[in-house]
Amino acid sequence: MNQKTYIFHVSGTHCPSCKIFIEDALNEQIGIKQASVNLKNETVSFETSLDESQHKLAEMLTEKIKRNGYSLSIEKKAKDRNDHAVIWQALPIGLGFLALFFLLQKSGILNLGIGGQITPVTSFVIGLIASVSSCLAIVGGLVLSLSAKISEDNVRDTKTFTLFHAGRLVSFAVLGGVLGAIGSAVGINFTLTAILGILASLVMLLLGLNLVGVFAKSKIALPSGLFNFFRKIEHKTFTPLVVGFATFFLPCGFTQSMQVSALSSGSFMSGFLIMFAFALGTLPMLALLSFGSASFAHGKYAPLFFKSAGIVVIGLGLFALFSGMAGLGIISPLFSI
Amino acid sequence: MNKTASIIITTALVIGIGIMFLGNSGDNPNSGATESVQNVEIRDGVQYVTINAQGGYSPRISSAQANIPTKLIVKTNGTYDCSAALVIRSIGYQKILPQTGEEVIDLGIPQAGAVQGLCSMGMYNFSVNFN
Repeated sequence: MNQKTYIFHVSGTHCPSCKIFIEDALNEQIGIKQASVNLKNETVSFETSLDESQHKLAEMLTEKIKRNGYSLSIEKKAKDRNDHAVIWQALPIGLGFLALFFLLQKSGILNLGIGGQITPVTSFVIGLIASVSSCLAIVGGLVLSLSAKISEDNVRDTKTFTLFHAGRLVSFAVLGGVLGAIGSAVGINFTLTAILGILASLVMLLLGLNLVGVFAKSKIALPSGLFNFFRKIEHKTFTPLVVGFATFFLPCGFTQSMQVSALSSGSFMSGFLIMFAFALGTLPMLALLSFGSASFAHGKYAPLFFKSAGIVVIGLGLFALFSGMAGLGIISPLFSI
Repeated sequence: MNKTASIIITTALVIGIGIMFLGNSGDNPNSGATESVQNVEIRDGVQYVTINAQGGYSPRISSAQANIPTKLIVKTNGTYDCSAALVIRSIGYQKILPQTGEEVIDLGIPQAGAVQGLCSMGMYNFSVNFN
């Protein structure tokens, strides 16, 4: 059996994770060995014992990976002209969602007064409201950007998302219980949450730009250390759990109010129930964002989805960044919704 | 979608979002900027400035006298949103207000100038101008 080495052009690669994905996908194929993607030249080389023609091979292998937005070709493709058309569709879609979101905030429908004692039922309702409130700008934006990024790079996204949401529910409940048990001992530091919020907004901006394709187009690659970091996020089991845990500390007025309620509830069990019900209330919206990303990402409109999501995330990221800096007193507030 | 149409929609949306953010202080009746709300009163030589906190602060801008002892009263009424998490940087105040109630914050004897309050996420704010 004679081994032949082929080199194909590959389109759709824009990140180190794509390299890993494509290599894994090709190596799974019987008769193909040592697939290796060269990101700089956008080529992939591999050894094969298959007797197919080059055309046939390119077609066959594209079939395997096109679901994730990659394709192989013998000739180098003219730089996707398609790309430009997509961004012009994505721009109004993304901005439309942003406009809707801010309109919702300004309309004041979300500012219902909920009086009386906090019970798990009321905290569930508050969670539902919080998940479409301005908190969505930070928590939702972060979830959307991470989910879209993970879906773009990774096939096992549903597992990652399930872990994230499980981690979030469990850590909210446990931390709520802890707050209830120790009472007033823990002060929730505003400056710390504001700094976390700014970090989150920077991650959103970075991922948003990446989803829109700014980095790919100008061929400015992000520092590889950062990409390794994201790759670790994507490929480790405990990372989505940790990210879910971290959302407890992200700045969100509703979360902070609920934390105080848990704090003053006086027992582990009541704090546990309050925060668990609250997190449960935020779940439908956040689950929609992450699992929605996954289903879009594997659908026909994947490029449009990624770009639209990128624009939404950039908008929310900017909003969160300016708000966060105003909250820290670095800049004077630019706006008030 | 046609590129020209898309550019037009995009521009319209950008302008719309811009108006939402920047054009709100004048014509929004809830902001209280144009309303003459009686939220400042002087009792027994102490000036009280009352601010309502629910889904933002109102009135957004109030005027008060400088150089007399002043207390800020922040009222909450079933407030769970960010406006319950109040930060006033200039006096180093930060607290999550009770969901329903009144919080009295001592501003001391303020100099002429503005005291600004923000919610912890920074998207709601109010200021009291002392002059």
